[in-house]
Amino acid sequence: MATKIHAAPAASTGDLALPRSWRWRDPLLQYGIALACLLLVAAPILPIVYQSFIDRPIYEDGQALTLVNYANLVGAPEFREVLGNTLLFAFLSTVISQVVGLVTAILVGRTDVPWRRFFGDALLWTLFVSHLVLALGWVIMYGPSGYITGYVMQLTGGQPWNLYTIPGLSIAAGLSLAPLTYLYCIASATQQDPALEEAARVAGAGPFRILFSVTIPLLRPALVYSTILNFVIALEMLAMPLFLGGPVGLRFFTTFLYEQGFEAPVKDYGLVGAAAVVLLIVITLLVLLQNRLLRNAQRFVTVGGKASRPRLLRLGRLRWAAFAFLLLYFVFGTGAVILGLVLRAFTSFLSPLVPLVDTLTWDNWTFIFSYPVYVRSIVNTLEIALVGGALGTVFIALVALLVHRSRWRWRRQLEFVALYPRAIPGILVGLGAFYAVTLMPFLGGLRNTIWILVLIYIMRYLPTGFGAVAPTLMQIGQDLDRAARTAGADWWTTCRRILAGLIRPALLSCFAILFIHFIKEYSAAVFLYAPGSEVMGTVMLSFWAQGEAGPVAALAVLQILVVAVFVVVTRKLFKVKIYG
Amino acid sequence: MAEVVLRDLVRRYGEVVAVDRVSLTVADREFVTLLGPSGCGKSTTLAAIAGLERPTSGFLAVGGETFFDSRKQVFVEAEHRNLGLVFQSYALWPHKTVQENVAFPLQLRRIARNKQKELIHEALALVEMESFADRYPSQLSGGQQQRVALARTLVYKPKVLLLDEPLSNLDAKLRDRARTWLRHLQREVGITTIYVTHDQTEALSLSDRIAVMSKGRIAQLGTPHEIYERPADPFVADFIGTSNFFTGEVMEQASGRLVLRLADEQTITVEGGDGMARGSRATLAVRPERIHVGGGTAGSLLKGRITERAYMGARWLYTVEVGGQAVRVETEADLASGEVALGLPERDVAVFPAPAAG
Ligand SMILES: Nc1ncnc2c1ncn2[C@@H]1O[C@H](COP(=O)(O)OP(=O)(O)O)[C@@H](O)[C@H]1O
Ligand SMILES: [Mg+2]
Repeated sequence: MATKIHAAPAASTGDLALPRSWRWRDPLLQYGIALACLLLVAAPILPIVYQSFIDRPIYEDGQALTLVNYANLVGAPEFREVLGNTLLFAFLSTVISQVVGLVTAILVGRTDVPWRRFFGDALLWTLFVSHLVLALGWVIMYGPSGYITGYVMQLTGGQPWNLYTIPGLSIAAGLSLAPLTYLYCIASATQQDPALEEAARVAGAGPFRILFSVTIPLLRPALVYSTILNFVIALEMLAMPLFLGGPVGLRFFTTFLYEQGFEAPVKDYGLVGAAAVVLLIVITLLVLLQNRLLRNAQRFVTVGGKASRPRLLRLGRLRWAAFAFLLLYFVFGTGAVILGLVLRAFTSFLSPLVPLVDTLTWDNWTFIFSYPVYVRSIVNTLEIALVGGALGTVFIALVALLVHRSRWRWRRQLEFVALYPRAIPGILVGLGAFYAVTLMPFLGGLRNTIWILVLIYIMRYLPTGFGAVAPTLMQIGQDLDRAARTAGADWWTTCRRILAGLIRPALLSCFAILFIHFIKEYSAAVFLYAPGSEVMGTVMLSFWAQGEAGPVAALAVLQILVVAVFVVVTRKLFKVKIYG
Repeated sequence: MAEVVLRDLVRRYGEVVAVDRVSLTVADREFVTLLGPSGCGKSTTLAAIAGLERPTSGFLAVGGETFFDSRKQVFVEAEHRNLGLVFQSYALWPHKTVQENVAFPLQLRRIARNKQKELIHEALALVEMESFADRYPSQLSGGQQQRVALARTLVYKPKVLLLDEPLSNLDAKLRDRARTWLRHLQREVGITTIYVTHDQTEALSLSDRIAVMSKGRIAQLGTPHEIYERPADPFVADFIGTSNFFTGEVMEQASGRLVLRLADEQTITVEGGDGMARGSRATLAVRPERIHVGGGTAGSLLKGRITERAYMGARWLYTVEVGGQAVRVETEADLASGEVALGLPERDVAVFPAPAAG
């Protein structure tokens, strides 16, 4: 390495000095982002909490603080019923989801069951479908006058089952939640160190012994985590309890809030507020518990592959029994439900007593594409998903950059705020935002537009998007931004010019996940949509009640199609990762 | 003029004191090395100078401008300091080409496009990487990445060059060449440089002065020669090169000489040890190559026994047992195992008060 002589005196820094930059820019942006996040999350919660402690509707004058709402709630004759139903439903559906999720994860992840690749993918499909749509499918197929119910009735002569009971509802919900359990368990099942099982094998343990003494105990963190997750989802689920419990007068926390806060002609605002706060506290405690349990268990739950696959358990003769189980679960748990919607969307009437060919029609489709409310809901939903998904991705990226890529003082607290919406049921997000818009005149412009929905959707899915961006951000070496900082870039420039380019794949994933959720979302919109700002979910919800089963089914099928096409395209074209 | 002044700089992480009251003045164009074992606080000190870590307390100024002063609540962010830092990991931005990496600091400085080109060319020529301008960092070898990192830092002519173990990811051969090259480069550019390493060879061959660090503090500050020949304490004596330590009781200290009695009653006479009281305990540090096998020079003779011998090419390394203690001796002489006399010179021996209790 010969050295050449260059004239580069150190004193000549003059012309290369840093431009006098505005030193307040970073702090201003940082406080601005954090404040926006805080407002977004707090705006729906505070009015609800406040409403629960005052003696009249939040928009009326002369309010006085009181505890009477809580007393009324506890004293209300339906409170016990609501509480009991909710707990029983959440418990049963969680048990079902955990058992089914665990068994399917072990079969697909750790055994030589036939078609395991197919099932590995197919069992996740229901995750892309909203609970509202699944509920409709369950009613169409398994409800008291359902298609499959009717068939079985023809064969046996009597009513074979009743979906409109708490156990029936729990089966429908449990099977819809099982894929989440499956997702968490499969991730840790396929990542298990094969050496652990090999060791047991060498020690003389048989395959089933290994399963119960090594494999399943190692899945415990994933099970604990998904148990609480599913319990929380069951507590805050609206559509299934509404459609499957509503017709027979079964009431749950969310349907109670929906009826009292939305449908009732004379609304008891205080009571609704108190019930909402109780639900909020219960779920907050559960999420805190989950965080605590997860803190030590995180490494078990991470999604991502390991090069060496553990050896698969040989099922022997049970192989085909296991296959039959998976196939039945898939055909009747997912396939039939979706098929029911498709059949209903293309028929004028669906009954086993009438041959299908006689009822086939395009009417439902021509109807939803000609009737303005339906068209608007489709356009609005797509617009919210596209624009909201993009805005949400940008906002989530900013928050994540501030939390994980700055030395800002309150970054830990900000992370807590950003993740808190996990504990807020969708219906409460909507209710709270409804109060907030009513209270704050300067938000009036948002009222009755899709932009209020964009805001609360982003708020609701902050934690989900954050989860897609944060791990990638944390994997990038600190030196890369430190190098930019010493070279003269402030925090904001570093984020824009260096980090943004490095996290692009994660941003695409974040957008994809937000898009799917925004298409599916309905519960947060219930209290907020108005003529002009309908979305697919709310239209399905209200028109189903009015008996428009055909067009609603067509809309549901359309929703599934939109998501399916989007998932396939983003996976193929952009190699975007959604779920694993 | 870019003089670097650190005064009583402290950086705590909770209970851990990573940097403990470090005071240091680096003159304009001087090359100073922070040398010490891993975890002694070198990187933290460097990051504090760069502005990437906010010190807990103390004072820091570069070129007369105060960058940190805990008493006046002054803290200048890294991006406003105009210093250059080369990372051990090189920290090249993987999504930018070599040229784009080097251009980034210039873009931040709003340099005109044709001037940018000129400066980029100049910087890449300086590190002999012009022909790699369009490559991505992942397409370069470690040594090439290290030079690009240097070009990216030198391109904006920072006031001070800070280097954090820049050679430690290179293989041994390359490291030797890069060291020579780096020294030439620093002389040529004439930039004040603070260099961090745990490798004493690098420190000794590169630096104008070395600050040896231990547990967050500067144990000794001096020229390479001073550090090697007159270590300030047993830690420095042991960390720089290797030393044999003899601990015993001071028999006598007068007219610049000290007589030490070892546990096995043998005595050693050396220069130094001023102010050590008779009866106190002292430690001597002697370099393996300064011990004469078979006696031969003015000084003390110790009786010992060769227990191990290893040929190192041109020289032999012997382990000699003296009074139950193993002593390393380096010499050209080929000796058989067995009894041997060791001559300890009176000079070139460092004398310290013995560390308390052990
Ligand atoms: N971000 C940090 N949090 C806690 N402790 C740290 C952090 N950075 C460094 N330390 C501690 O400070 C001490 C000095 O670290 P460092 O300056 O990196 O050492 P060196 O560069 O000399 O190897 C070490 O004990 C290290 O564990
Ligand atoms: Mg270091």
